Amino acid sequence: MSAIVPNRSSMDKKPFRRGVSPPALIPYLVAGDPDLETTRRYLRLAASAGVFAVELGVPFSDPTADGPVIQEAARRSLRHETALSELLDWLGTIPPEELPPLYLMTYFNLFHHMGVESFCKKARATGRVAGVVIPDLSFEDSRDYRPLFRSFGINLVGFVSPTTPVDRARRIVREARGFVYYVGLMGTTGASLSITPAVRDMVGQLKQWTALPVCLGFGVNEPRMAREILGFADGVIVGSRLVREEEDPGLWEKTFLEFVAECRKAEPER
Amino acid sequence: MSRESAAIEKHKEASRKGSPSLPDYRGYFGEFGGRFVSETLMPALLELEEAFRLAWKDSSFRKEFYGMLAEYSGRPTPLYLAESLSREMGGAKIWLKREDLNHTGAHKITNAVGQALLARRMGKRRLIAETGAGQHGVATATVAAKLGFSCQIYMGSEDVRRQALNVFRMKLLGATVSPVDLGGRTLKDAISEALRDWSRTVGETHYLLGTAFGPHPFPLMVRTFQSVIGQEARRQFLRRVGALPEALVACVGGGSNAIGLFHPFVKDAGVRMYGVEAGGISISPGLHAARFAGGSVGVLQGTRTYVLQNPDGQIENTHSVSAGLDYSAVGPELAYYRNAGRIVFDSVGDEEALEAFRTLSRTEGIIPALESSHAVAYALRLARTLPRDSNILVNLSGRGDKDVMEVSRILEEKGERL
Repeated sequence: MSAIVPNRSSMDKKPFRRGVSPPALIPYLVAGDPDLETTRRYLRLAASAGVFAVELGVPFSDPTADGPVIQEAARRSLRHETALSELLDWLGTIPPEELPPLYLMTYFNLFHHMGVESFCKKARATGRVAGVVIPDLSFEDSRDYRPLFRSFGINLVGFVSPTTPVDRARRIVREARGFVYYVGLMGTTGASLSITPAVRDMVGQLKQWTALPVCLGFGVNEPRMAREILGFADGVIVGSRLVREEEDPGLWEKTFLEFVAECRKAEPER
Repeated sequence: MSRESAAIEKHKEASRKGSPSLPDYRGYFGEFGGRFVSETLMPALLELEEAFRLAWKDSSFRKEFYGMLAEYSGRPTPLYLAESLSREMGGAKIWLKREDLNHTGAHKITNAVGQALLARRMGKRRLIAETGAGQHGVATATVAAKLGFSCQIYMGSEDVRRQALNVFRMKLLGATVSPVDLGGRTLKDAISEALRDWSRTVGETHYLLGTAFGPHPFPLMVRTFQSVIGQEARRQFLRRVGALPEALVACVGGGSNAIGLFHPFVKDAGVRMYGVEAGGISISPGLHAARFAGGSVGVLQGTRTYVLQNPDGQIENTHSVSAGLDYSAVGPELAYYRNAGRIVFDSVGDEEALEAFRTLSRTEGIIPALESSHAVAYALRLARTLPRDSNILVNLSGRGDKDVMEVSRILEEKGERL
């Protein structure tokens, strides 16, 4: 595993150990949708449910990897000008025990605009940010920024997709930190995943190359599907299905807890 | 120096040492460019880069490309001395590179032909494209019809409204036109939607990007195809005048007609180059599309370049009377030459462009596209400051038929009559 300096939030949890750690559920939320108070409530619930991490989306005006549901949520959040830098300030005000490990997900321009180094400094200072998920920072372009993220102990998640050739996937997981995000389908968030033998094979392959949790995301729209995925993958990321309910806390909590319950029933292959 | 700027500095240094031809192997022109896309698209970009490299080395491919430009599109386009216009301005001579005389009415067809031939070579069966003014959409639909591709065009719904004629043309050519009802409902939003489509369908589909923008290899590939403009113009000028022009002028949306004209002249130190952006109503957020006047370096839709963005890094919407210039970012190679001091950028507002639209129509009997009218307007400004025996070459990138309804509506709104 990597020789990164863990920051506080990642130190809070024991490192992932395949076959020992519980299966990883990673819910995705859009920060500030519909408002930050609601986001805080969702984060608290996720922390008490013991999720592996929350992928916290920071809204961007031009989310090219997202489907309609998350685009709409980002628009709602941007109506009150949710911004990366202020979001970090806000996270710093929440008691650590109310927060699960956080991976901030957004497009590269927001980090670039703030300055990757300033972002890292500030994120580390809050002690609440385990890593970042940046869908439009290609493996090639990330070369310029990987050392920076590492030196601040911010995990830069690695993406693998169904179009990734095998030797390329191997290089990607070698440089990945935090977890490996396997995008199970071609397209944008919110489509519908089908669990094909090719998906299972790729996950199996990735698990042989890395001790990091290999998590499957994009199109996981049923709790039962999440449970099925956890039979062969280390983790599952649930996005649009939950974001759809963000405006109604009652509905969100109900759906989230359904996912939690199903994931607890998962029986990982040994 | 911070480590971050050190990383950027490395790119600049690599370019100064001059890999003789930019971009470098990672698609950077100095600090601009790159491939900021999702992993799903990266293998397709690598495949496209390799296919383009091999095709362009292959003389049979180039022969096919130039052959189709000659027979189908009508190249070379004429170099035309606008005598009456020059006389009326009383300054330098103004020459027009008549890209408006291409088949489908703009320079866009050249890139569409090149990429469609490449897509066929790669075995793709479907073309998708974004369009602003509709000229690139029409060009793509045209080559799709000719070469037997299925075709889908994404167009902001605001542009669908103001470019209704081009929407009809695309449909007539057999393309599906999908209006995009997101963001500012213009070009930027159409590109985002095309990228989303491409990530679903990348196996069978080629994304025929219309300008020298986006992730590598698009800026390189589009510039290579469009450089035929500057190569012809340079030859034609030397033959007609026996010297090179003092100045080149082109309008800049993404920048394909500009880089296409400029690139073959880059090493001609005596030739000054002017890129003209859309000044819109005024240079304040949301009212213009002058990226070098109101923007800063950012990353949008696959490339690092000058971008119009707010203090939080959110992309700003733009305004221009011309749909083809109404865009929040600019091609990375132009950003590179601008910072290197080789190309000067300025902007022309809606009013001045409309004025030039009418002036060129009245003096020369040529109705220019509203995009190209920005270049004409700037050339008129420049002509007054230069001696009579000097020469300005303007890229008349497209014809104005598509714009006459919109201009008539605007004039009516202002209570003006022709």
